[in-house]
Amino acid sequence: METTARGVRLKQAFSHNAIWIVLIALIAIITIVDSNFLSLLSLKDIAVQSSTRLIIALGAAFVLITAGVDLSAGRVVGLTAVVSASMLQIPEYGNRFFPDLPQLWAVIPIVIAIAVGFAVGLVNGFIVAKFNVPPFIATLGTMVAVFGANSLYFDMEPNNSQPIAGLRDDFTVIGSGTLDLGSFSLPYIILIAIAVSFIVWIIFNKTELGKNMYAIGGNIQAAHVSGINVAKNILWIYAIAGALYGLAGVLEAARTGGASNSYGNMYELDAIAACVVGGVSTTGGVGRVKGIIAGVLIFTVINYGLTFIGINPNWQLIIKGLIIVVAVAFDIRKYVAKK
Amino acid sequence: MRKIISGLVIGALAVTAVACSSNDGGGNSLPKTGVAIYKFDDTFMSSVRSAITSAAEGKIAVDIVDSQNSQPTQNDKVDLFVSKKMKAMAINPVDRTAAGVIIDKAKKAKIPVVFLNREPLADDLAKWDKAYFVGAKAEESGSMEGQILVDYWNANPDMDKNGDGILQYVMLKGEPGHQDAELRTKHSVLAIEEAGIKVEKLAEDTAMWDRVKGQEKMAAFIAANGDKIEAVIANNDDMALGAIEALKAAGYFKDDKFMPVVGVDATDPAMQALKDGTLLGTVLNDAENQGKATVELMKVLAAGETPTKDNTGYEITEGKYVWIPYQKVTQK
Amino acid sequence: MTKKHPYLLEMKAIGKSFPGVRALDNVTLNVRPGTVHALMGENGAGKSTLMKCLFGIYSPDEGEIFINGDKVDIKNSNDALRNGVSMIHQELQPVPQRDVKENLWLGRFPKHNLLFIDHKKMFKDSVAIFEDLNIEIYPNQLVGELSVSKIQQLEIAKAVSFNSNIIVMDEPTSSLTGIEVEHLFGIINKLRARGVSIIYISHKMEEILRISDDVTIMRDGKYIGTWGAKELTTDLIIERMVGRDLSNRFPERTNAPGEVKMKISNFTARQAKSFKDINFELRKGEIMGIGGLVGAQRTELVEAIFGLRSVTTGQIMIDGKEVMIKSPIEAKKNKIALLTEERRVTGIFPVLSVTENTVLANLPLYRNKFGFLNEKKMKVEARVGVEKFQTKTPSVDQLIRYLSGGNQQKVLLARWLLTDPDILLLDEPTRGIDIGAKYEIYSIIIELAKQGKSIIMISSEMPELIGMSDRILVMSEGKLSGIVDGADANEENIMRLAAQTS
Repeated sequence: METTARGVRLKQAFSHNAIWIVLIALIAIITIVDSNFLSLLSLKDIAVQSSTRLIIALGAAFVLITAGVDLSAGRVVGLTAVVSASMLQIPEYGNRFFPDLPQLWAVIPIVIAIAVGFAVGLVNGFIVAKFNVPPFIATLGTMVAVFGANSLYFDMEPNNSQPIAGLRDDFTVIGSGTLDLGSFSLPYIILIAIAVSFIVWIIFNKTELGKNMYAIGGNIQAAHVSGINVAKNILWIYAIAGALYGLAGVLEAARTGGASNSYGNMYELDAIAACVVGGVSTTGGVGRVKGIIAGVLIFTVINYGLTFIGINPNWQLIIKGLIIVVAVAFDIRKYVAKK
Repeated sequence: MRKIISGLVIGALAVTAVACSSNDGGGNSLPKTGVAIYKFDDTFMSSVRSAITSAAEGKIAVDIVDSQNSQPTQNDKVDLFVSKKMKAMAINPVDRTAAGVIIDKAKKAKIPVVFLNREPLADDLAKWDKAYFVGAKAEESGSMEGQILVDYWNANPDMDKNGDGILQYVMLKGEPGHQDAELRTKHSVLAIEEAGIKVEKLAEDTAMWDRVKGQEKMAAFIAANGDKIEAVIANNDDMALGAIEALKAAGYFKDDKFMPVVGVDATDPAMQALKDGTLLGTVLNDAENQGKATVELMKVLAAGETPTKDNTGYEITEGKYVWIPYQKVTQK
Repeated sequence: MTKKHPYLLEMKAIGKSFPGVRALDNVTLNVRPGTVHALMGENGAGKSTLMKCLFGIYSPDEGEIFINGDKVDIKNSNDALRNGVSMIHQELQPVPQRDVKENLWLGRFPKHNLLFIDHKKMFKDSVAIFEDLNIEIYPNQLVGELSVSKIQQLEIAKAVSFNSNIIVMDEPTSSLTGIEVEHLFGIINKLRARGVSIIYISHKMEEILRISDDVTIMRDGKYIGTWGAKELTTDLIIERMVGRDLSNRFPERTNAPGEVKMKISNFTARQAKSFKDINFELRKGEIMGIGGLVGAQRTELVEAIFGLRSVTTGQIMIDGKEVMIKSPIEAKKNKIALLTEERRVTGIFPVLSVTENTVLANLPLYRNKFGFLNEKKMKVEARVGVEKFQTKTPSVDQLIRYLSGGNQQKVLLARWLLTDPDILLLDEPTRGIDIGAKYEIYSIIIELAKQGKSIIMISSEMPELIGMSDRILVMSEGKLSGIVDGADANEENIMRLAAQTS
């Protein structure tokens, strides 16, 4: 009896932290292949490359937990990257998007870009909440339309679909600058991702919106009967998700020092994959920030680590696909009553 | 509610229709021609597109359409050109092997066709005497990238950091299987070897033509190889610029720490990087002349004449090809 | 049948454990051929687990199953079907978008040339089976258009089409009207006469005593015994199910109705075939039962009062003032609470904890001064609810889906009481709940009325209505057919009102 109880507890501990075990195992395997992998530089790179992905995944998680899905994420990232970059070019740059635009205070374009993301999210939420369009269809529509809008903007005279570059240093510093702590330097972008994770954690766990989000995903009818304003909550949830994509778009532009309308293509699928691998249930009501962080890190470790040890990129895709399916299969086992 | 929505939809359609029809380039007397671009948001083809628009002014009326990176869509667009009775058309194929079918369609409708940028198979092009090609020799762009590095190697002996006489490089490839990606990868290295310099490949991975991926892959290369890297070869400028961002983060391009990075396309941001001294060189695929040559050819063909050097201003090779050479662009 | 064996089905010494629970312990079930065998026990007694073992959904840890004296090994539902065992599920799951015949022959369509589906044969075979069983369903009708009882008949026909001679019926009458029940019993009698054995699971004593030949009773996963139905009475069955004498099934009513709290006038639903022109008054501290047959529109009425459905005409007065209630949000503002009939569908949040399920209707209460939620306060409140109602749960962090029906209901009651309602609308508050837990819920309801809260309770169980209500409002076909005083109420006068037709 004693041993089985311990066995059960061990099993539980394993299944609750399976995702972190997989992450550690991945790092261990890569380190065995090339011992140079486990260095401060690699870990910092992984953290930096995870930062924007994490912010997008957290946005996607809001929607997934309500048992919805947001396909517009990637295209919103592209749109806000272009919008912010178009207003933040140095005056000397040859082909400026707005040739006569004065030097704006960098915060203004950033706020505009995030507001654009927020607005797209509001549209998503409005379509879902007021017209009862399934989220998959509603966001499929905005995904396509947002890309169209972005391409139109990007193709405006005099830019004519040229990649936007020559971004101001006071902007790119957000993406590439570091906080120097003696010999160690911490990139700002990691700090931003940590701050966003913390805020999202607060929303998930400490606010009415968060509790309502879990309730709506857990049982939308019960939420309605309980007197929760379902439509209003859904509207806010999609809008916050949109704002997070907006922030991620700004950071992508700042980090790469440029932007084009192809930015963010298919990011929504990466974000959804990271979420489900991190234990967010596609049927709604379940998902924690900790798991999402692990999910994002796993995919970055695959991307970065397998490139590091020189694995054929096609194999990288196969491994990614396997991890998505296996992780979710194991996760679902937690919910399916065993024979 | 339903009424409001249908009202909105009809309104949106009306606005679009008006907006599109204004694109039709009024000039009634000019011969009508059609151009199908493989994908509108491709950086280089966008430049060609604006070159075509400006070169066509006063000569021909062009209707430029987007094939959305899908060959079936492009074939539909060709059918559209046929039914609109265009006098000539220019096709920038999504898939070069699809040119055969397009030539058959054109031949049947007796509409002369100019292929643009992506070279059809020679057998296909030989099917009809009114089928032409305007573009560059893809392998040339790779060779020129290699030559830029060779010139730098010869002028700067300390580029060989470890002094072993071998050039250690990393390669950022475009989409695997893409003709340009494969040719540029092969010929850039070939050109270096032909100049008598030994090379060693430290790493190669695909960054899908993409700046963000270029940056992320380069970060991993730096972490794995550190100071061993002596040059970065990228299949295009976007990836090269991504790599430069990763190099900046690793401390390059300040305090005399330099890394030769080469790309292809000579985009605006790449030109800026040249000016900043971060990008060593790029190769200009001459969008201006590709666009202009296409327009000249279409104008002559639409008038029912045979193109020659005299009436187009471009050399016609083998009666079918207009070769627009690449140009090296470097910091000096 | 080649050989004659005294029992068609024997399940011997069946044992099954789940982590931490002994679900079945040495359980026996012997079913004679051509009989209706009732299987009885409280919820959680192990009836469904036993049937799942028979049907191959669970594999038993111990014990053996014999059919006609031959040992069988049933690993999945296909094995069960092959051995002549069919199950009519409590929640029937046909394909509503397809027609009757396709549902009937799903997975084994007759074909021409092994390729194309033979629709004519499918139609003819369906008609043959329906006629044989005296079932009136047109094979080309869409299943989605059928009533619950017709779908059930379709499922029975399906079982017969598999040549099953053991048919398990799990709560077959739970959503049937009186006439439909009679029809079902007719079909059962027909099958019994042919030598088919029916294992009949139900909580309705009267039915069981009428239709069954033998009764097996289970309690806490254990076998209590098998008796001939003629030897049993309702009280004897309950006593053996509960394991104690239950002469008093309802607590004493100590509440005292006061002045009028809510007045409903001219209430008429927007939908055509729903309730019409309902007028009544509800007093403070009163428990008002609503009785009627299935389809009497009782649920629709309380949902309309709660703002979940819309009305064309009608007025709600609370404390003498007219109020407008168009959504649950407004109902909550007017201090009305609703415990819905379908606990799983519209009540619980299965993947959330007991704490979250308790506080979700009332989150603003737990804001701290910065606007964030106070986790500790929420847990304390949930614990108070658990203690007050003696909810059985390992902790307030447990996901509610793992609680039994009765305990889930207590959590939902706690949720609504937190909103401090004056009027509670309870729709079948004890459906699917153990007899023991029912008594606890009754006590809670009476206690609430005693505190001056006004209660409307829909119930389809006659004894519950009579035992609990100060007054009983009876509905029939959407109309109010009468209000009976609790003291004068008996099954006969309520039934007469409920069956009244226009």
